[in-house]
Amino acid sequence: MNQFFIGAGMGISVLVLLVLYRVVFGPGVYNRIAAISAIGTKTLIILLIMGFVFHRVDMFVDISMVYALLNFIGCVAVAKYLEMES
Amino acid sequence: MVRQSDDIIIGTVARMLVPFIQLFALYVIMHGHYSPGGGFQGGVILGASLVLLLITHGLPETKKLISEKGVAILSSLGVLIYAGIGLLCLILLGNFLDYSQLSKILQVMPAEARSLGILGIETGVGLTVMAVMFSIFLDISTGGVLPEDEEE
Amino acid sequence: MEVTLLIQATDDSFRILEDAREQAEGLLTTAVKITSESRKIEEQKIQTILKGTQETKSGFQNFIATFFILIVFWAMLSGKFDVFHLSLGVICSVLIAYLTHDLLFANARVGDMRVIVQRFIVYIPWLLYQIILSNFHVAYLALSPKMPIDPKIMRFDTKLESDISWVTLANSITLTPGTITMDIREGEFFIHALSKKVADDLDTGEMEDRVAHVFMEADHIYVQDVLDVARIYGALRKQV
Repeated sequence: MNQFFIGAGMGISVLVLLVLYRVVFGPGVYNRIAAISAIGTKTLIILLIMGFVFHRVDMFVDISMVYALLNFIGCVAVAKYLEMES
Repeated sequence: MVRQSDDIIIGTVARMLVPFIQLFALYVIMHGHYSPGGGFQGGVILGASLVLLLITHGLPETKKLISEKGVAILSSLGVLIYAGIGLLCLILLGNFLDYSQLSKILQVMPAEARSLGILGIETGVGLTVMAVMFSIFLDISTGGVLPEDEEE
Repeated sequence: MEVTLLIQATDDSFRILEDAREQAEGLLTTAVKITSESRKIEEQKIQTILKGTQETKSGFQNFIATFFILIVFWAMLSGKFDVFHLSLGVICSVLIAYLTHDLLFANARVGDMRVIVQRFIVYIPWLLYQIILSNFHVAYLALSPKMPIDPKIMRFDTKLESDISWVTLANSITLTPGTITMDIREGEFFIHALSKKVADDLDTGEMEDRVAHVFMEADHIYVQDVLDVARIYGALRKQV
């Protein structure tokens, strides 16, 4: 069972690397913001998979909930700032 | 930056999420001994919920929850709780922050008294952290000028 | 000679009658639109007055409802059910429900809450099914070599009335891959759709009907409008 979770985690990490291209080379700031938000959701899943691997799911669920929250609030704050700038 | 938002979707979603975020923050504070968390982390999440309400709804709506004067009072209240529990242990002929002395007034075992004492100071730390984070954000966004001063 | 004159006169009179009929139809449609709009404005005025008086009464009900929801959430988060932790949960929930009791249910019509919750629980599996179908379609679009997308922005008026149903519809549209809600201005939705098939699926209006069914809106007929229109039509018919 561990192998399955580790394999899934590595697959999702490859997806994160693909989205990282947009963060670095995205023309403009809106591409970068959307890509960082997408990386945030993938990070959430990777945290939960780590929880399964270490057999302490309840602890990692708390951590991923906090990360989801901070991702959401950060995205809203940056979007409001960019709207005010233009 | 703190102006009224004319955005329905973000406004409604943020307003419905704020009670759950605050309850989660209090859960993190209260369960510091069992799962990751504690005073500082819970205080940061509480402050983040107030910041979310501020950037989506503007300043007048957030003042219904907590005013600037209340923020200042809360930050000192947290420190008062922390130092107060420490001094209480000192008064009861122990060391500073020696919670086992609290068992004299609470009538529980010394181990439980330690647990309750730690819970108390975590609450104080959480209150102070929330108040200071919200106050820093208010100062930066309004430029240090309260709306009451602007009217003069 | 008289016959051609007669035929010409009949022709002219037919044309005049046709013009008169078209004008009467135009007048009729404008009259219907104006009466229904004025009735909507009157109802909105009455609703805002009622809402003001209801706010003070429903504050306590909001507090109790928020308290219960928060207690259930706390029990879900913390797996320990001994007296100490539960009493901590009760204290925290009371405090938060007292401070934020008007945030969660700001515009609710309290009597219908149970029906709305039941219908919402039935609505979610249908939404999941739609998301799965759209996933397959967008995956096919993204993975085919020449990527036949046709992005365009569509706007449509909505028949829903309250904040929460607008937000539910907008979130459902955004969750379905292929469509994203950009903005809502004065009851008009701006939606960015990826291909023609996705836009056609949205145009049928099935999602909007289902959301209106969940929140029990847009299901009343303005009977007075029909009666008014009948009176105007009868007056027109009598004159012609």
